[in-house]
Amino acid sequence: MKPEEPGQKAGPRQKAGLERRDLLKSLGLGAAGAAAATVMPHGTAQAAESPRDQVKARYRETDHVKRFYALNRL
Amino acid sequence: MARMKFLCDAERCIECNACVTACKNEHEVPWGINRRRVVTLDDGVPGERSISMACMHCNDPPCAAVCPVDCFIQTADGVVLHSKDLCIGCGYCFYACPFGAPQYPQTTNFGSRGKMDKCTFCAGGPEADGSVEEYQKYGSNRLAEGKLPLCAEMCSTRALMAGDGEVLADIYQERSARRGYGSGAAGWSVAYGQHDRGSPFAPGGPSTGGA
Amino acid sequence: MLVKRSSGKAPRGSLLRALSGDFNGAGNLESGVSRRGFLRRSGLAAGGIAAIGALPAAMIRRSEAGPVLPDVELVTRKNVCTHCSVGCTVIAEVQNGVWVGQEPGWESPINQGTHCAKGASVRELTKGTRRVKYPLKLVDGEWKRLSWDQAIEEIGTRLLEIRQASGPDAVFWLGSAKFSNEGAYLYRKLAAFWGTNNVDHQARICHSTTVAGVANTWGYGAMTNSYNDIQNSKALLIVGGNPAEAHPVSLQHMLRGKEHNRAPFIVIDPRFTRTAAHATEYVRIRPGTDIPIAWGLLWHIFENGWEDKEYIRQRVYGMDEIRAEVRKWTPEEVERVTGVPGSQVRRVAEAIARNKPSTVIWCMGITQHTVGTANVRALSILQLALGNIGVEGGGANIYRGHCNVQGATDFGLDVTTLPAYYGLAEGAWKHFGRVWDVDYDYLKGRFGSKDLMEAKGIPTTRWFDAVLARPDQIDQPSPLRAMVCFGHGGNTVTRMPEMIKGLEKLSLLVIADPHPTTFAAIKERRDGTYILPTCTQFETDGSRTCSNRSMQWGEKVVEPIFESKDDYTIMYLLARKLGFADEMFKHITVEETRPVPEDILREMNRGCLAIGATGQSPERLKMHMKHQADFDKITMRATSGPCAGDYYGLPWPCWGHPEIRHPGSAILYDTSKSVMDGGGGFRARFGVERNGVSLLADGSYPKGSEIEDGYPEFTMAVLRKLGWDKDLTPEEMRVVEAVGGGKTDEVSWQTDLSMGIIRVALKHGCVPYGNAKARAVAWSLPDPVPVHREPIYSPRPDLVKAYPAIEDRRDFRLVQLARSLQFKAAESDLRGKFPMVLTSGRLVEYEGGGEETRSNPWLAELQQSMFAEINRKDAERLGIRDGSWIWVHGPENAGRAKVRALVTDRVGTGTVFMPFHFSGQWQGDSLRRNYPPDTDPIVLGEPVNGVTTYGYDPVTFMQETKVTLCRVEPA
Repeated sequence: MKPEEPGQKAGPRQKAGLERRDLLKSLGLGAAGAAAATVMPHGTAQAAESPRDQVKARYRETDHVKRFYALNRL
Repeated sequence: MARMKFLCDAERCIECNACVTACKNEHEVPWGINRRRVVTLDDGVPGERSISMACMHCNDPPCAAVCPVDCFIQTADGVVLHSKDLCIGCGYCFYACPFGAPQYPQTTNFGSRGKMDKCTFCAGGPEADGSVEEYQKYGSNRLAEGKLPLCAEMCSTRALMAGDGEVLADIYQERSARRGYGSGAAGWSVAYGQHDRGSPFAPGGPSTGGA
Repeated sequence: MLVKRSSGKAPRGSLLRALSGDFNGAGNLESGVSRRGFLRRSGLAAGGIAAIGALPAAMIRRSEAGPVLPDVELVTRKNVCTHCSVGCTVIAEVQNGVWVGQEPGWESPINQGTHCAKGASVRELTKGTRRVKYPLKLVDGEWKRLSWDQAIEEIGTRLLEIRQASGPDAVFWLGSAKFSNEGAYLYRKLAAFWGTNNVDHQARICHSTTVAGVANTWGYGAMTNSYNDIQNSKALLIVGGNPAEAHPVSLQHMLRGKEHNRAPFIVIDPRFTRTAAHATEYVRIRPGTDIPIAWGLLWHIFENGWEDKEYIRQRVYGMDEIRAEVRKWTPEEVERVTGVPGSQVRRVAEAIARNKPSTVIWCMGITQHTVGTANVRALSILQLALGNIGVEGGGANIYRGHCNVQGATDFGLDVTTLPAYYGLAEGAWKHFGRVWDVDYDYLKGRFGSKDLMEAKGIPTTRWFDAVLARPDQIDQPSPLRAMVCFGHGGNTVTRMPEMIKGLEKLSLLVIADPHPTTFAAIKERRDGTYILPTCTQFETDGSRTCSNRSMQWGEKVVEPIFESKDDYTIMYLLARKLGFADEMFKHITVEETRPVPEDILREMNRGCLAIGATGQSPERLKMHMKHQADFDKITMRATSGPCAGDYYGLPWPCWGHPEIRHPGSAILYDTSKSVMDGGGGFRARFGVERNGVSLLADGSYPKGSEIEDGYPEFTMAVLRKLGWDKDLTPEEMRVVEAVGGGKTDEVSWQTDLSMGIIRVALKHGCVPYGNAKARAVAWSLPDPVPVHREPIYSPRPDLVKAYPAIEDRRDFRLVQLARSLQFKAAESDLRGKFPMVLTSGRLVEYEGGGEETRSNPWLAELQQSMFAEINRKDAERLGIRDGSWIWVHGPENAGRAKVRALVTDRVGTGTVFMPFHFSGQWQGDSLRRNYPPDTDPIVLGEPVNGVTTYGYDPVTFMQETKVTLCRVEPA
């Protein structure tokens, strides 16, 4: 057997504790709770984009995207 | 420049909800928040049609027009993003949106509903592209990775399409011409204004039932 | 917008209303359970909060799988979706051993990157918040944790005690359509070494009647064409199937076919399904009248001479006897029995006859009936009459259920056969004795007797009858005393009130599953239950066969989570404890305690000649997965690369050794291709002559065949007659002689382990299994010509005398009631008390018994209540509001279920529809507290099978789930 994966096989009791705390986080604060994922850890540096970067185009017609279009034409 | 749009082909949509769970999966969207959902008309009777709906990333987005803190940003490729740092959870955008896109994590009679959440066209938000911070607030940024929204990429019948509006209109036109009819591209004229391509089979054209 | 075929409602208004949500009423749970009621209300997430409040805390825990982390190696792994039989490729992105992202697999010729709601959410399975985390044991109603060693030791000891006291047949081994092929084969082998044929799986309750019906018609029990090939169809007839919910990705191919060919898309179903929503013609029939509709279609076809006369002459036996039966089904009689107007039947008949090739698609609306096998045969005969079998765009496209139900059937998880449909006769055991390298006498010694070794076992539809049976009611030495159940929901068979009695009486119940299943939650059972945490197919590797017979190799995505182990390991541990591991794994490498799946497949390749499961070596299958992009998206054939010429996944039959590179057979019985190109004729399985008429094909043969006519299956005797025995190499001849043991003439393509006979047949352009006619008359079945028979609980007692059920009989070691029960029901005016018809079916978000999918929050959120669909008029008459609670009562054992009413015209008046994925509530009570801690599914609901009733197909003991009677009352 391969070694256990970290973070994957934590004991069930320990896990339950974590889950309860997470519940409080997402219910209580509501701040970033709206976000797709979770509350940001404190002290994390914000990596905000400059106003110009915020409105830049993100789309690129990559091979991946071209494949998607091609499959939609079938 | 390419203009990002969604187009849901009602002749193909079978209400399988792959788009909904793909979105949950990609962005770890919590229970109760639905960035995307499938709406069925005439449920259970002949004529039943379904369409998948989310933020349509409108031209001149009404949500942005009413936002008291100006938290919306529209990118050069038309994607409507917003800043959760600025959002005060007032709910105005919900009332302005013709598609019911904005979602909130809580409800109270008075005060904040929490930070608004909605479809980002898988383009993250005003944080550095692909950063952990961006993911935590807005979910992943596929557009910056050279990909398209996962809901469309995984659509079971290729009903929901996302990408360059010109290309999507072409594809839709091909399909309608092949079928000899269309059922309209739901939401297109509301989101992007009247279509002017002139073809009867273009989204919103006469042979597709108009939009 | 949405003007085409709309009903004149203001669609824009309803769209806006539907989208805008109900702000104030959002918390009001009473407001509607129309399928997406919850979502419609969740615009401002108020409903969302209410739902979170009702959830166990664990459900909204933060996942370890968050964003894709920068600077950490990202590994991509390819596996196959574990839900339905379409076989969608799943692309998993793994970081630090955690599955962090799912990407579309564009290259897959089958799904081309797409998924349904289930497939798009499979990543959650390896987060597994609700999974069973360690072995458990029920002690006086309490769940106790125990170690794997202790669990295997205790289970093994008790099994051996039961064997000692009551014989090997006292244990029921229930396997799973969620096994890999290697797992399915290994489980069948385990049962054989234990010494019983009481080994079964879900195919019994989904398509056993399909397998029996089509195999008895043209040779093999499988879909003839493929999902992709439907794009070549000029007309589609879908009967008793709702692929838009059950097989959503298949709709991609079906709708493309519809659009490109402007093909009529006809749906025949009692319920206006989501598939019917896309139909060009929808035919509503009374549940249980499929044979009348098939004969009604054929009536018009024969009447107008639309049948393919030359095809019938060359390739079909017995069509005249069918004509005689069909003649009775005039448009008037069809309308009287089915309720479908004659003009519509004619229109449909003309559409499928004039737009050829046309395909017929069916699913459990055809199979799960007391006349399931006959239903299947009627549709098969319809396709034969039109000459649609063995052609591109035609075929019997039978959509199997689970991800590997085809493979698990093929590899013998079945009470009637060893792997590859060899049956249970002495010759079959001797063949597998040679394959497994164990003495026939050793195998025989494992069984209670030679008779029991060759007798069909007890099917899963009736295991509890075999527990509760008195000795004179059961044809084996002891009733069942223990059940070992791998990967199988407990709510999937009918008559649950009696199932619970059986469950209570079992002295040992072992559940090996990722989830505890319904079996674990039944409160009547307080002791003697063990749960072994078993991982999903994403946490191990192996091959699975999709509905179109393509085999796909799934790669392990992550290590088994928590303390779970894979099926192979658990089977090895059991075999070791039970004392036969050395014999069973003689030629299979076991790494520590894990048998290597590649080795298991190699053993299968050596022995499963009869279906051509010999050419699919692990190396070839892995190469196909790697080079998916090289395969054409309609023909499924590789045009370039290392797999050039192969059909994707080497759909069986893939003849001979992998080295001869047979490409697999994309379309069965296709004479337009040479055999080495995947062609073939119908299988010579039923002899060469009957009543003076030849059963061999007449002037029809696969392209390039050296024999330009029909021929029997290949044996050494046939080879000698043709003078082709000289083509065998000395080494092949040595094996043939060893197998024959003095009777070399009797050695056939199926038993020649050298595969020399197959090689020589192919060399001469011939199919090893022969070239025969399909048989429209299957003289070995209870109804050689399919005839209509009313359901046991018929809503039309006036038709029961004219169309009675079969006589009561004995089979599968048990008594089968039919006509006596039907007549009793008809005479006692049961309809007065139970005036409505109950039918059941599937939802897109959930699968099977539903434990796994109801435990997945991304899916559970979409479908939070068990419900019953009831027609608007019936609801009005009964005073039932949409969304209100109702009781649905069944006519047996005071069966009842408390569910929400969904008032809709989707079902006709007098019909009630309930989905079958729910469990965990029982007659109004929640069973949530009975689940082991933290394993209860998010959504619970009443099982429909608490209400369903008695009724079995005579050929396979398939259960009747589609027609019974019920009564609905406001709760």
